[in-house]
Amino acid sequence: MAEGKLRQIAVYGKGGIGKSTTTQNLAVGLGEMRKKIMIVGCDPKADSTRLLIGGLAQKTVLDTLRDNGDKVDLSSIMKNGFLDIRCVESGGPEPGVGCAGRGIITAIGLLERLGAYTEDLDYVFYDVLGDVVCGGFAMPIREGKAKEIYIVASGEMMSLYAANNIAKGVQKYAVKGGVRLGGIICNSRNVEREIDLLQAFARELGSRLIHFVPRDNVVQHAEIRRKTVIEYNPSARQAAEYRELAGKIDQNTFFSIPTPMSAERLEEILIEFGLMENIKDAYQI
Amino acid sequence: MNALIEQPRYACALGAQQSVLAIPGALPIVHAGPGCSSKLFGFASFGAGFQGEGFGGGSHVSSTNTDEQDVVFGGESKLNNVINGALRILDGELFVVLTGCTADIIGDDSLSAARDFAARGHPVVGVETGGFKGNNYFGHEEVIKAIVNQFVGEVEPVPRPRTVNVFSVLPYQNPFWRGDLEEIKRLLEGLGLGVNILFGGGSQGVREWRAIPHAAFNLLLSPSTGLETAELLRAKYRTDFLHYPVLPVGGAETSRFLREVSAFAGLDSETAENFIAGEEKRFYDYFVSLADFISEYRNNLPSELYLVADSIYGPGLSSFLVNELGFIPRGIYLTDAPADRGRRLIERSISERGGFQINFESDGGLIEADIRRRIGGGHKAVILGSSWEKFIAQDTGNLYLYVSLPLNETVVLNKTYVGYNGGLNLMADLYSSLFSRKTTTSRTQLFTD
Repeated sequence: MAEGKLRQIAVYGKGGIGKSTTTQNLAVGLGEMRKKIMIVGCDPKADSTRLLIGGLAQKTVLDTLRDNGDKVDLSSIMKNGFLDIRCVESGGPEPGVGCAGRGIITAIGLLERLGAYTEDLDYVFYDVLGDVVCGGFAMPIREGKAKEIYIVASGEMMSLYAANNIAKGVQKYAVKGGVRLGGIICNSRNVEREIDLLQAFARELGSRLIHFVPRDNVVQHAEIRRKTVIEYNPSARQAAEYRELAGKIDQNTFFSIPTPMSAERLEEILIEFGLMENIKDAYQI
Repeated sequence: MNALIEQPRYACALGAQQSVLAIPGALPIVHAGPGCSSKLFGFASFGAGFQGEGFGGGSHVSSTNTDEQDVVFGGESKLNNVINGALRILDGELFVVLTGCTADIIGDDSLSAARDFAARGHPVVGVETGGFKGNNYFGHEEVIKAIVNQFVGEVEPVPRPRTVNVFSVLPYQNPFWRGDLEEIKRLLEGLGLGVNILFGGGSQGVREWRAIPHAAFNLLLSPSTGLETAELLRAKYRTDFLHYPVLPVGGAETSRFLREVSAFAGLDSETAENFIAGEEKRFYDYFVSLADFISEYRNNLPSELYLVADSIYGPGLSSFLVNELGFIPRGIYLTDAPADRGRRLIERSISERGGFQINFESDGGLIEADIRRRIGGGHKAVILGSSWEKFIAQDTGNLYLYVSLPLNETVVLNKTYVGYNGGLNLMADLYSSLFSRKTTTSRTQLFTD
């Protein structure tokens, strides 16, 4: 990617895999490199930026829209967090009603109209919940939005199923819109031969494992204090991992159109790496 | 159904708001975006022979007019407000909540909103009529089933002898529904039946709907639309039904229809035969009086029949024109995409009535192309159809009559082409249409510009 040009990045992955944690820690790593960053949380739970601003300090875009109609002030929905990273939460409806997908479309459209995408930005991250379940959740990778996708996964079977499914969505938009898969980020769950499995999985997708983030309880310690690891303990080993991930993403030049695999092929890979050797292991999640 | 079509002849399921408006005392509450309701009124009322708004119809239909916020956050609270408002302001005995596409896609629980109001004693029912679920024929039947299930409800039937519920033509979608139902009711009463006609000015409205479980039998006068209703009523109230798939037009079919109804209902056959004899005498006296005209203008009479109508109206009309007036059926097109079992029944009915080719086709563009190809340079055709078919007739120098939607250039009041009276009306209109030509001639008179 050319220097000085805004890079819009969407992070997808199975629910609970650690997308928000990874995105925020990664963003702080980039922030330390003096990059200007905005994170747009695309999740009705609005918890994509709590580690950067110490909780939910700003109103969500959609709550503001609901309360104020079109009279929305950018400052009320965007707050600067740690290292001046700009934080926005799209928000969404109450669980079980309305259409969260449409909410994301509406929120991103409003951010554009309000001029949130300023020229000084180096990175915009979209932290999108769960799977690409419908058109709304694909909004961040539509034309003119994120061109780079990273999928957060682990060696657990369902995480790889989800990642493969996400790759199908990426492939669709890659063919018609120029979106590319930048790589797989492994957020380790300490599964046996996890790194080998993730490398094989990424290779099969026509991509690569861009970084293996080991499991470390310091992440949880930082989270409970509403902080990223780098802010909580800059000298921790895990902080170095996130800095390394940030560096790799900043320098990344390998972008591909993913080649998602059939369920049968995915299971072959899982068997090859021993994950499905006995049924108890297969359902350890 | 999935392809792009030209000249659509029906609306989406939400078009069933017109069915609600056709029940005296019932009012629709539409949970949809702005424009849905008025567009459907435009199609099935204003553009259907200017049938009028009526109380609570047209631009006065209660609608949530949902916007983007309702889509994102759900529109249930807005729907509750609108139902509340409608109950306070509108003088209605029954309110039917109908949903549009967006509400159904985002999963608004509109049915439970209606159920909550009903639980508090309000006459409210709910039905999902998102446009993607089907056309207005589907929606019509969904509305009827919803009223039966949610409003008429669990009732122990107390059968009233010689009473019948009639399920037949689609209100508004059939531009002549008012006149048709009047004629059907008149015919059945002639047999000595008490008739719950259920829709239109001849209905007692909501009171009549409450009496549905107590009818001695149900009459389904349609090939497929209404069949689920009849089956529901049989399961729910143990009411048997007579399925007569051809809407009777003219002397022969109407007499056959009345005899079948009489036999099914176990009515006194002498009463039935006396009524039929009186009606037939009147019908054929008029019919015979056409003889002078027919011989005088024999060189101008059309002989080839093209017909574009729905599967409820088309078979009966074409059967009369072919079997009693001697037309050659050149192109019969049924436009409402009936279900497979309806199609098979129509084909069987037609084969029992002389057996001629019928086409199930919803694409008006394909119908037009086929009619033009078949007519070629001929001037012996009459095309029964909509305003679209008028253009073909005028282009090719042939005759036309209006029988189906869209109809933007004629006013329809109590006209009917059903029954004995309908057959007479049809003959009068058909032969009068000769004089819309500039070159119609007889032995003694010449009509030119």
